[in-house]
Amino acid sequence: MVYKISIVIPGTDHGGAIINTSEMPKVGDRLKVGDLEVEVVEVMDLMPPRGDFHFMHATCKLVEPKGSG
Amino acid sequence: MELVSLLKSVAVFEGLSDAELERVARLCREARYRKGDVITAQGEPGHELFVVCDGMVEVNIGAGGAARSVVNLGTGQVVGEMALVDGGPRSATVRCVADTLVYVIERDAFERLCDADHQIGLVVYRNLAADLSFKLRHEHLTRR
Repeated sequence: MVYKISIVIPGTDHGGAIINTSEMPKVGDRLKVGDLEVEVVEVMDLMPPRGDFHFMHATCKLVEPKGSG
Repeated sequence: MELVSLLKSVAVFEGLSDAELERVARLCREARYRKGDVITAQGEPGHELFVVCDGMVEVNIGAGGAARSVVNLGTGQVVGEMALVDGGPRSATVRCVADTLVYVIERDAFERLCDADHQIGLVVYRNLAADLSFKLRHEHLTRR
């Protein structure tokens, strides 16, 4: 299966990302978006699956780099 | 990874048989970009579809201080599909945010393939419509 995921990071001016993964995202997972690391806080289906593809949406929050703040 | 196997992980080619994917693969030209390189520039003519096979690109709309990033696209995503569908100028500037490997498909060559094999054209253009829909839904969700 291929999980095509729309990633949105509310509260930031980042446009989010669209990536493919081989595993279904779940709350608490950490994903890389370029140089950023984000944590999944909500997952939902965005469109019905087609063939081997699932089309998902994940709302995420930024993971602060260690040592920041 | 073999190109046909790679194309199987791209939603735009979902539903094509191995033989059909082989015909698409024969149109693909490999191109490598460094982080910071621009693949397409907004407003310029565009005649190619790009399949991101490794790395990540950032899609920007606007120029100078008004430029804004609308989405990052990772492995398995396509860029340049609007120019493929409507033949218009590039709608966005696409910049690599990591070293990136893409496969490039020329519009004319792809249209010739679709003319020769309508099944490939039907499947890919249906998938391209779904891909544009997915991106539109993503855009809506960023504005929630």
